[in-house]
Amino acid sequence: MVPASPAIPADWLAEFEAAAKRPLEQRMRYAFIRTYKPVLDDAPFRAFNTTREYRAWCEQNLPSWLGYGP
Amino acid sequence: MAAFEYRQAQEIRDVFARHGIRYLFLGKSGAILLGYPDTTQDADLFVEKSARNGAALVAALRELGFTLRDNEAAEIARGKDFVQLKTGPFDLDLVFAPDGLETFADAWVRRVEVEGFPVCHLDDIIKSKKAANRPKDRESLPRLEAFRDYWLSR
Repeated sequence: MVPASPAIPADWLAEFEAAAKRPLEQRMRYAFIRTYKPVLDDAPFRAFNTTREYRAWCEQNLPSWLGYGP
Repeated sequence: MAAFEYRQAQEIRDVFARHGIRYLFLGKSGAILLGYPDTTQDADLFVEKSARNGAALVAALRELGFTLRDNEAAEIARGKDFVQLKTGPFDLDLVFAPDGLETFADAWVRRVEVEGFPVCHLDDIIKSKKAANRPKDRESLPRLEAFRDYWLSR
């Protein structure tokens, strides 16, 4: 079991409760966005033997600001 | 390419069900299905690694409109640990061995169903993000953990 987080900040709680009132289709419309990610989006297919290999590739090849680094 | 849509999630659900594929929505896309309000770019699927599941997965992806060369289909069927697909109507990450999760069977037992979508339990999504420990995971974890507490309390 993952340990519980501290008390939920009021602004987050308001967001969670607002989301809970929306149907899934609407939540998904708000949630899935599309922006170009350099390098990552430049090949149509990539496969890695291990997840560790994938993480290493991300660290070595993606711009750090994408957040895939160490 | 346009953003992933509800209709496409339904297509995954329906086509995968027809092919008998064992999979779970994982990552932020899974959390969003569970009600988490946030944004993401693509869908992550945790797929059971087995010969039968792999072969069925290739057939299902082709039915969904993904163009797969023979060598790519073979890599998916074999269950390489991580596959990124951008050759279809939407982007898809296939994860056969996610960080932090021991076995598919364990995650399957804990799964949550939302409108027929099989989704990893939030504890497993959080566990996986903690194990991945990338900057984008570390940034998102406090709010995701707060959502887990909210979600469990409902």
